[in-house]
Amino acid sequence: MNGKKSFGGGGRGKGAAGQQGKDGQRRPMFRRRKVCKFCSDKIDDINYKDVRMLMPFVPERAKVLPRRISGTCALHQRKLRTAIMRARQLALIPYTTE
Amino acid sequence: MNRKYELVYVVSPEASDEQVADLHTQVEAIVQRIGGQIEKTENWGRRKLAYEIGRHKEGTYVLEVLLGGGELMKEIDRRLKVTDLVIRHLVVRVDEEQGVVERTRSRRTETSRRRRVARGLPADRQPGEGQRGEVDDDRDDRFDMGEELR
Repeated sequence: MNGKKSFGGGGRGKGAAGQQGKDGQRRPMFRRRKVCKFCSDKIDDINYKDVRMLMPFVPERAKVLPRRISGTCALHQRKLRTAIMRARQLALIPYTTE
Repeated sequence: MNRKYELVYVVSPEASDEQVADLHTQVEAIVQRIGGQIEKTENWGRRKLAYEIGRHKEGTYVLEVLLGGGELMKEIDRRLKVTDLVIRHLVVRVDEEQGVVERTRSRRTETSRRRRVARGLPADRQPGEGQRGEVDDDRDDRFDMGEELR
């Protein structure tokens, strides 16, 4: 994971890494820059049938994990949401838990 | 009109295997009558439902990939709605989405190849090159290093 950050992502990644250094001095906790799982793993097709892939984005309460936590990019979050909604309709994923 | 649709229906757990097979024949009959084609049928078998649907806790899932027009899907949708044995069903059009996926994939391969050639590397990834294990995807060129960096 660390190797990924130092090499990858082009200009954007490098800029963010520089900022992180500054941040790190201010506060002791080092926070890793979040990356979209679907962008980095190159998953183009977010499918409602693949419950195993969707489950990490549906925490205990069965709500959709927000972008600010998962780090998913806007495009993939939108696709993810559709996939989760479809899977819910087929009772593959719960709407809610008691 | 040739569109691709995915149809998933959940059959009540009380239904026997014959009844499930019978439902498939019914779908097949509609497809043949209106004009279309069944590309693939997949039986996922009995699965636990994520929530109860009308006292049922389990269901048999069947996936069908169909080629045809909107009229065909309308008719299938209508029929499944009135069939009591089917407790849930979903129709999704997939051809457009699949096209987008293919295009992004080929575009990525192309950019990767172009960038590699520009850096004086062979267009395709050589075995054992770059940081393997981190990414399994051969189309990825982000971690390829030029000779001088190594």
